[in-house]
Amino acid sequence: MYDILTYIGLIMIGVGAIADLLAAIGMNKFWNFYLRLHAATIGTIWGAFVPIIGASLVAIGYEALGPYRWFMAGAGFVTAFLILILAPAGSHALARATHRARIVKVEPCIADHIDESMCVKKGGNK
Amino acid sequence: MRHSIAIVSLVLFVLSMALLLTLAKQAYIPRKEVRDLAKIYLNTTYNPWNKKFTAMSPEGVTAIVWDYRGLDTVFETAVFYLAIIGSIALARGIGKYSKPTSDEKKLGLSLIVKTVTRITTVSIIAVAVSIALHGHLTPGGGFQGGATAAVAPLLILIAFSQYFLLERGVSKDLMLVIRSLGLAGIGLTAIAAYFIGVAMNKYAFVLQNQAKPLSEVSIPAYIDGQLISGTLWFFNISEFFAVMAGFTIVLILLVIPERAFKSSGGEEK
Repeated sequence: MYDILTYIGLIMIGVGAIADLLAAIGMNKFWNFYLRLHAATIGTIWGAFVPIIGASLVAIGYEALGPYRWFMAGAGFVTAFLILILAPAGSHALARATHRARIVKVEPCIADHIDESMCVKKGGNK
Repeated sequence: MRHSIAIVSLVLFVLSMALLLTLAKQAYIPRKEVRDLAKIYLNTTYNPWNKKFTAMSPEGVTAIVWDYRGLDTVFETAVFYLAIIGSIALARGIGKYSKPTSDEKKLGLSLIVKTVTRITTVSIIAVAVSIALHGHLTPGGGFQGGATAAVAPLLILIAFSQYFLLERGVSKDLMLVIRSLGLAGIGLTAIAAYFIGVAMNKYAFVLQNQAKPLSEVSIPAYIDGQLISGTLWFFNISEFFAVMAGFTIVLILLVIPERAFKSSGGEEK
């Protein structure tokens, strides 16, 4: 029973490491601010929320810790929950403020339904 | 060109840090045994078997801050108080200013941020209170708890706009009252042992916590079996309110809109 938890937790930590790598590549390769914000959120949800849940599961599975493993797992779950609700809110606030203040144009853009004038079509007015 | 400069400076930084660490290792080797001063603190910070020389607090840092060098911390709090007074003096002469629109929903950030702020503000205040009230048991204390609690009004100011706080009575003046009450609490706790000594006709020091060889007066370390470490708990609570209110005053002053300064014309009202 506890072994299964440990393996699930280790898989989740591995997924987190891969997601962090992908998010780092995205941060370097993506074209504009909004897409890079998406990559950054991949790093916080898949690269922080998922591995923290995994670490909590590993802590529950590690019986040598005795009752203290519930404290570790509980702290991990609370931290993961806070990241889960704070990271999207933060990136949303950043993107919304940047878009409303018209600091960064959406480029290259296919459609911008909030504000068409922010949309810079590919090969357009460069 | 820029890239090569960046790479060269990075390499130079790493090499110089490595050189510094190599040299520092040769110059200073920490002793393996605990030093004498540290031994005194470790032996006296919580030692119920040596009632004449203990702070009765398992948290060494709080014991040092509020007991061993309590006067120092009182002066630090006074410095912080003067800094807040200075910022209030800078923002003097600002008359009342009204909301730009009557539409509540247009103020502040979007609904998503407001909802998340509603959840996190409560947990921030809960964590802050626990940091302050457990300051004599676990790492933390009044200042740390107060600084954490001040994040809650900061979040509300940014996510909900400042009028949200002002309309609910959280104003600069109320915070000033809370801050003054906290400072009065620190002052009263500092001289509590002295007044107990006067009442019992015994010698006692200002800022005394537990009994000392020269004076037998001590603030009770337990209330109903719960360890409160004498004065430390009261100091932490008072400092929590003083610091929380102090930071909130500065944050409220920081978000005053520019038109409020302009409408008052720089003259005192």
